[in-house]
Parts: sequence; structure tokens; C-alpha cells
Amino acid sequence: MILPYFIIIPLLAAFLITLFSREKDYWSITVSTIASATMLVLSIVCFITLKGETFIYNLSGWKIPFTICLVRDSLSCFMIVIIQLISFTSLLFSVNYIRHISSSWKYYSLFMFLVAGMNGVVSTGDIFNLFVFMEIALFAAYALVSYGGKAFEFEAAFKYAVIGSISSTLILVGIGITYSATSSLTLAHIAQVLPQKPDILVWVGVLFLVGFGIKAAIMPFHAWLPDAHSSAPAPISSMLSGVLIKALGIYVLIRLFFNVFGAPPVFMNIFMVLGAASIIIASFLAIGQWDMKRLLAYSSISQIGFILLALGISTKLAILGAVFHIFNHAIFKSLLFYNAGSIEMAIGTRDLREMGNLKSVLPVTYSTSLIGTLSVSGLPPFNGFFSKLIIIVACVQAGYITYATIAIIGSLLTLAYFLKVQRYAFHGDKLFDVSEKSIGGGMKFAMLFLALLCVVTGVLLIPALRQSMLDPIVDTIFNKTEYIKLVLGSL
Amino acid sequence: MGTNELLLLVTIPVGIGLINIILPNILKKILTFGGLAYLLSLTIQLYSKANLSLSYKMIFALDQLSWLTVAFIQLLGLIILIYSLKSMDEVNERSYFVLFPLTLAFCNGAVLSANSIVLMIFWGLSGISLYLFGVMGRSESASQSARKTFLIVGGSDVFLILGFVLLRFINTNSGWALWNSEVSFNANFSYLAFFSILIAAFAKAGGFPLHTWVPDFSKDAPVEGVAFLPASLDKLLGIYLLARMVMSLFILHIYLQMMLLTLGALTVIFAVMMALLQHNGKKLLGYHAVSQVGYMIMGVGLGGMLAANGQVAAGGIIAFIGGLFHLLNNTIYKTSLFLIMGSVEKKAGTCDLDKLGGLGTKMPITFMFAMISALAISGIPPFNGFYSKWLIYQGIINVLKDLSVGFQIWGLLCLILAIFGSALTLASFMKFLHAIFLGKRQAIHNNITEAPTFQLIANGILAIICVIFGIVAIRIPIMKLINPVLNIKPEWSIAAPTLFGTYFPELFSFLVILPFILGLIVFLILIKKKRVRMDTNYIGGQEPVEKFRISGTGFYNEIRDMAPLKFFYMWADKKFFDIYDILRGISLFFAKLFKALHTGQLQFYCLWILIGMMVLLKIVK
Repeated sequence: MILPYFIIIPLLAAFLITLFSREKDYWSITVSTIASATMLVLSIVCFITLKGETFIYNLSGWKIPFTICLVRDSLSCFMIVIIQLISFTSLLFSVNYIRHISSSWKYYSLFMFLVAGMNGVVSTGDIFNLFVFMEIALFAAYALVSYGGKAFEFEAAFKYAVIGSISSTLILVGIGITYSATSSLTLAHIAQVLPQKPDILVWVGVLFLVGFGIKAAIMPFHAWLPDAHSSAPAPISSMLSGVLIKALGIYVLIRLFFNVFGAPPVFMNIFMVLGAASIIIASFLAIGQWDMKRLLAYSSISQIGFILLALGISTKLAILGAVFHIFNHAIFKSLLFYNAGSIEMAIGTRDLREMGNLKSVLPVTYSTSLIGTLSVSGLPPFNGFFSKLIIIVACVQAGYITYATIAIIGSLLTLAYFLKVQRYAFHGDKLFDVSEKSIGGGMKFAMLFLALLCVVTGVLLIPALRQSMLDPIVDTIFNKTEYIKLVLGSL
Repeated sequence: MGTNELLLLVTIPVGIGLINIILPNILKKILTFGGLAYLLSLTIQLYSKANLSLSYKMIFALDQLSWLTVAFIQLLGLIILIYSLKSMDEVNERSYFVLFPLTLAFCNGAVLSANSIVLMIFWGLSGISLYLFGVMGRSESASQSARKTFLIVGGSDVFLILGFVLLRFINTNSGWALWNSEVSFNANFSYLAFFSILIAAFAKAGGFPLHTWVPDFSKDAPVEGVAFLPASLDKLLGIYLLARMVMSLFILHIYLQMMLLTLGALTVIFAVMMALLQHNGKKLLGYHAVSQVGYMIMGVGLGGMLAANGQVAAGGIIAFIGGLFHLLNNTIYKTSLFLIMGSVEKKAGTCDLDKLGGLGTKMPITFMFAMISALAISGIPPFNGFYSKWLIYQGIINVLKDLSVGFQIWGLLCLILAIFGSALTLASFMKFLHAIFLGKRQAIHNNITEAPTFQLIANGILAIICVIFGIVAIRIPIMKLINPVLNIKPEWSIAAPTLFGTYFPELFSFLVILPFILGLIVFLILIKKKRVRMDTNYIGGQEPVEKFRISGTGFYNEIRDMAPLKFFYMWADKKFFDIYDILRGISLFFAKLFKALHTGQLQFYCLWILIGMMVLLKIVK
């Protein structure tokens, strides 16, 4: 019964923070950090002890398809680990960072809601609950994007809310159609019934693809992301780019299109085309940016493209690449947003043209940012290299040489725009009278920890580790509707 | 225990680099020197074992080609280290002695790799080192040059990945193992694989059109880093990979080999034409570093070319040997020239040729070493650069004999360009030597003294090697070092000629040196008998004051205005030949285009969603 804790703990923490917080933020920091650290430990335990099995938790005395159930399988546990990992480091980063905006408890409370929502989305086996948890996470996200209280932040949050609502409406319509066709909201049960109704599958598929495609910021449904991710406080940007678009977007697309719909070839082809378009177009857009966080936001769209492309290929190797890239992207993109936050806090700007020579005054930020840059650009021996290598190998293996070439060009463009960041932010001859002392220990720890992960997580591909850690996740996705048997059979 | 020895070539320098993070400067230097000296001796001991494929086949293996490359990596690493012991500025010294051994380890790892994934990792790491050396530069444009460098070199790494992944699936038998694929060009995507790997090799070595990072990097990075990577180790890696491609990875056909010949010739001539007009000494050397790669590409690229009877042509083998010999020679004299330029820069505070001059009397030993290296690079006998170029020319002519008229004309054009390039190299180095060491010295440089001892030792060793490799060219470098490489491919070994033309380097060297000795004797006798009139310089009957100073940088300015060449220089000024600027322009065009579509208006974005959904519905239905 470990899974419900990932929803209960953050909700309880949010409640306690709201209830007992005073003017100072010590209580809210303590509660949220304890909650987050506990969840991180639990998530690792949850993942390690799973051993490729699938467990169901019915939250009432009812049985499927009438109950609300939580499903603990390799994929959901994997996502839970990522969410807890990034939320823990983001919280550590937030302690000092958020104080330069305000010392209010509200931030931590909203943060816990965000985590609860994401945990709920990846744990549930019920599509309507998935929708509800998604909305919880999104409401928290809308508020957190505008947390800085400036006009452009409100504008970004407003755009995010409007486009988010459109996507939620499309998803809700999809859920409605699904329910009317299958008389069930349990994913496994829907998976059993829906393939017998191909016409419905087409409509529902498109509605979900667009709806969750907006959440995942896939081209051409990405337009909300650059504003929202660049306007949010840095630790929230890292949460949004690092995990939210994956938990609410990519994870749900995987769950629905692989485990429920059985990976229909037409949708897989669409995944590949949209993935390739996202890689290239977002990379060109990133090259033209001067706002560091906006550049990172476009980079997220591009990296999501890599994941989607790999999912579209849908061979076992490609799925391994996608899964590994989900993990790696969460790490290096969060790290890069921390770097951007650290710079913004130190010199008060996100504009690359106003930066320069920060290498000498912000050495930790510089060195970790260099590692993040090399990782996201797919250079060896950092983690991004291995996931991109697997994706390229998978493209070639499946005979998609054009897509392999697109992935190659995407990597090259990624290197181009991140070297722009390195050049303008960290080198040159400008002088800033700042020091890294102004950045808190938590911020430095968060950056160093994620940089370390960028260096070492490549070891997950060592066969023994891969078989125990990554292969079960790949099997969960690759075996598609085996999910039905596992969920319904484990009752 | 061959296994451990190969592993040591990587782990020892990595260990030194990591330990150096915490050591004080003096201990760092001692440790690094000791470690590198040990690695060199270890490599020498491995010479006899190079016939064996040593184990850890999954990760590292050694054959004659990798031994040769690794041996020169250790040798040049040690020499450059000696130079660096007393040359780095305080700010960079700390990171330099961490990065230096790590880079050496990465290069060793790349060359010893028996597995393409391992190669990609070490290859990529060496590119990262290059970038980190680049950002150590102090000039304003250093970060821009480092960025450009890393974009070309690091960017080429992704093509290397594509190439090796394609090879993996073209030749499924060899898996990720590196050296036995011998892919012919009948298979699908074999051309894509070939060109992808070629891009990586060219970018690393500095072959046309991926050479443009070398001059910029040379100008802006610390000279120790320039001598270490673009001048020596990157050349070794790039040409090593090209040699592997030609020997083991692919079975090249004549069109590809003629293409390599052409790219080589273009590299020679483009780069040397640019070098002629440079005013910055390091940038001039950077262009020559590129130009010399052209000869290597020409020579190595012709390796294994088939004769009319279907056998491997002796000419192709001669050219291949010449190409590899030129690689070794170039790393020596080019490293030497960069280090000498560094010594001058550190003393005079500039490497702007317009501001230098007349340093020959102040830095006579450095001047002598510079002259040896300059003559060597210009292909003047009896120095080493002559014979390697000679072999390449011979090889080309020999190969062309068996080809049809069309190929002969094509090949001869390339040959003419290469020979012309060599003449222009000499011209360029006359300017280089004059601008730095001859002519009237500026008053501000009157207090300059000779370079420090460590720098002289390093430059002296390199100059001596230039001479020795010239005098005993056949006996030692070719027969002992390069000829064994042919054993990797038995049919090449059989085709290898036993005689290399009618050039006898020892005899020729003697004939060249003899008149100099005789002249010196006559001079000394006359001096003793006081029959030599010593006088002050004068120009137009007046004392040569500073305003009459001729720097030498303007020697060839006229060619900029010559009818066919002025267009070349005009286009070069507009960066039409710079692939970095071309791709940058294309990227910015698309960036602007896509940015224009992002108006920031919500209704517009909603429209995208609607259109996107309709298109998807249309596709799915």
C-alpha cells in the first residue's frame, strides 16, 4: 500500500503548511522538505521492490470497473521516482531562491499540490481520476507561474490557463466519448473494450493526442510553453520542464496510446512526424532566443520531440531510448533551469546580452551548466549521449534513416544554442560585482547533485542495471495491452 | 600483461589529471612530467607487441597504426609539457595541468578503442577538451572562437555517431567492433556512413571545408593548447581515423579516392592562399596547420588504390606512406612553430607580425629553431617535410599512370595545386621569419631576451627531430615506424615498394650541409684574418630609423588585387568559404522565420491547435 502515500503525503503537507504557517517561511520549508524527502525515499523503495510486477490498489470496497484504482507498475514507479527527485531538488533550490521574491508559505503549499497532482496522474488507473489529478496539478502550476507577481508573469499564466483549459476540455470530451462507448473509466477496462470500436478509437485518439499533446508541448500545440516556463520562478520552470510536461503529457500519451489503444500504427507515424517537427522547429526557435529561460523552454519542446520520435518508432530499443531520455531530460533540463535561476538571482537578468564572464564569479553555476550543456547536446560521456545514441540506433535499426538524420541535426542545433548560452553568459570580459556566496547552499547542492547525476546515470545502461531498472519499464510499454491482463488479472 | 598496459595509457593520465586538481603547482608539474615520461617509455616497450592484437578487445586493442599514433601522442605530449613547465600564466596554470593529462588520456583512449562506442566517447571527450582549452584564451574573441571550434568539432561528433551506427547495421557481423567492417559501397546507406565518418575526421584534422575553426582557435587560444590539440593531437586523431577508414572500414572506389585527392588539394591551396595575407602570427600558422592537412588527405586518401590489373597499386601505397609520414612530420614542425610563436608572444607581448621584427639577434636560438621548422614545413631538403611531400607527389604520379586520360588530367591538376601550395608555403614562411626575426626591431623590444630554458629544450627537441627525420627519413621513420602499419593489410604490404625512388636522404643531406660547412670555414678564416668589413646598416645613406622599418607582412599584398584572386579574397572576406558562417546564416534565417510565426497572440495559438486537430483527424480518418 505504498502508492497512496505519494498522494496523501503532499496533500497533507499542503494542508499543514496552510494551517500552521506564520509570517516566516520556516515551517513551510520544513514540512515540504520533510514530505519531499520522505517521498523520494519511498519512491526509490517503491521502484526497487517492484521487480517488474504490477499491483492494484482499490480505494474502496468496489471492484474494477466500478472502483477508483491506483496501479503500481514499472512505468508509474519510474515516473514517481522522477517526480520526487526533481521536486526534492527544486525544493532545496527554492529555499533561497523564492525568498528573493517573497517568503510566503503559499509557494510551498502550491508546490505540494503540484506534486500531489502529478503523483496522482501517474499512479491512477482511472481516466477520470487522471483528469482530476491533472487539473489539481495544473491549477497549482498556473498559480506558480504567476508567483512573481509581475505583469508578464500574469500574462504567461493567463495564456497557460486558457490553452490548458482548451486542452482539458478536449480531454474531457474524449473521456466522455470513451465512457459512453465503454461504460467504464478504468483504463484497463477501456483497453479491453475500445479496440472493438475502431471509429470511436479514432475520435478519442485524436482528442487525447491533441489534449495531452498540448500538455506535453508537442509541435504545433506548444505555444503556451515558452511563456509559461520562462516566466515561472526557476525551480518551478524546472518542475514544469523537467517533470510536468512528462507526467501530464508524455506519460499519459504512453499509457493511453500503448497500454490502452495498443499502439495503433497510424498514431505511431503521427508521433514520429510530430516528434521530428518538434526537434527541428523548436531548435531553430531556441537559436534565435536571447532570454535564457525562453531558450531553455524551446529546448524542452525539442527534447520532447526526441522522446516522441522514439515512441513513434515503438521498437523495444526505441522505447528504451525514450524512457532513458525522459529520465535524462528531467535531470539536465532541471539543472539548466537552476543555472538560469542562479544567474538571474545573482545579476538580475535573463537576457544573455546583459551577461558575460560569469565563469569567474559563479564557478559552481558555470561548471554545472557546462555539464548540463554537454548532456543536453548529447555529448559523451554524459547521460544525454547515451539516450540519444539509443534513439539514433533505434531509428537506423528500424530503417528510418531520415529520422536518424533529423535527430542528428537536432543534436547539432542543440549544441549550437547551448554554446550560445555558454559564450554569452559565462565568457567574455564583462565585470559583475557579485559572488556565488549570494546563492544559498541549497541552490548549489541542487545544481551539483543534478550535475553529478548527468555524469553517472549513463551507468544505468550497464546490462545488469539496465535489466533490473529500465527493461521492466520498456516491457510495460512494449507489451502494450499486456497491461489489461496485468491489471485485471491482478485483482 | 598487454591488457594492463593499454589500460594504463588511459588510466594513468586520467589519474594524474584528477590528482592535479588538489596538488600545488610544483607537484602538479613533477607528477605530470613523471607520468608522461613513464607513458612514453611504456609506449616504446609496446612497439614489439604492436603486431599482436592485445586483449580487452571489447574496449581497447593495439595494432601498428594505433601504436604509431599513440607513440606520437606521448612524444608530443611530453615535449609540449616541457615547454609548458615555465610558460603558462598563473590564472590558467591550475586548470591547464588538470586538462592536459586528461586530454592525453582521451586521445589515447580514442586511438586504442576497439569498439566504436568507446571510440565515440573518447573522441567526444577530446572535443570537449579542445573547447576547454579554447575558453582559456584571454582575447575578446576567444569565447567566440571556442564556440565556433566546438560547434564544428563537437557537431561532427554527432555525424560520427550516425556513421558508426549505420556501419553497425550495414555490416551486422562485426557488431560494434571497429576495424574489420570493410564495407563496399553496394550496401544501402554506405555512402551516408562514409561521409558521416569523413566529416568527423575532417573536422578534427582541419580538412576543407571543415577547417575554419583552426585559424580562429589558433589566434585566440593559449599557444600551449594550440600546439597540443589542433597542431598535433587533433591531426593525429583525424588522420588516424581517415587511415582507418581507408584501410579497414571501407573499400574505397576510384571516384571517392579522387574526391579525397581533390579535397586535399583544395585544403592545401585555400589555406595557404589565406595564410599569405595574415598579419597575426598564430593565425598564419593556423592556416598552415590546415594547409598541411591537405597533403595528408591526398596521400592517405589514395591508399589501396587499385592498378589496372586489379592489384593494389604501388603508387597508392607510396602516397599512403607519404601521407602518414607527412602527418608525423607536420605534428613535429607545426608544434615547434606554434611553440616558437608562443615564446615570441610571451616575450614581446604580441603575435601581431606588424609589431614584431628584428628579434633574431635577441632570440638567436629560437630563431634558428624557427628557421629549421619553417624550412621543414616548406618542404626544403634535407628536412623531413621535403621527403614526405616528395613521396606523396611520387605516389600520385605513379597512381595516375594507370588511369584514363580524364582521371590523369584531374589528378595532375590536384598535383599542380599541391606543388604550388608548397611553393607558397615557402613564400609565406619567408614572410613569417622576416616579420619576426629579421628587419629593424622596434625600440620597445630592445630589452627582449632569449626564451626560457624549458621552452628552448622543447623547441630544440622538435628541431632536432625535424633534422633527423629528414636525414634518415627512409631508415627510421619509414622503415621502422610507418612500413609496419602496412602489415595490417597484407595485400598492401605486398604492394609496398622496397625502394622509394632515387632519393638518398643521407647523401643528399651531406651534399646540402657540406657547402654550408665550407662556407662557415671560409667565413671563420676570413674573420680571423680580419678581412671581413663590419659596418652599420643604412638606407639611402641614412641611419635606418624606425619609420623605415619593413615588417614583411605586406610582402604579398598585391595578390589580393590580382584579377582572378581578388574574387577569392573578396568572397573569403565575406565568409563565403566558412561553413560555420554559412550554417549560422541558414539557422538564423529559419529562426527568424519561425519566430515570426510566434506572435504571442492567444487567438493565433488557439488557431494552431484547431488546425492541428483537423489535420490529425483528416490523417487518421
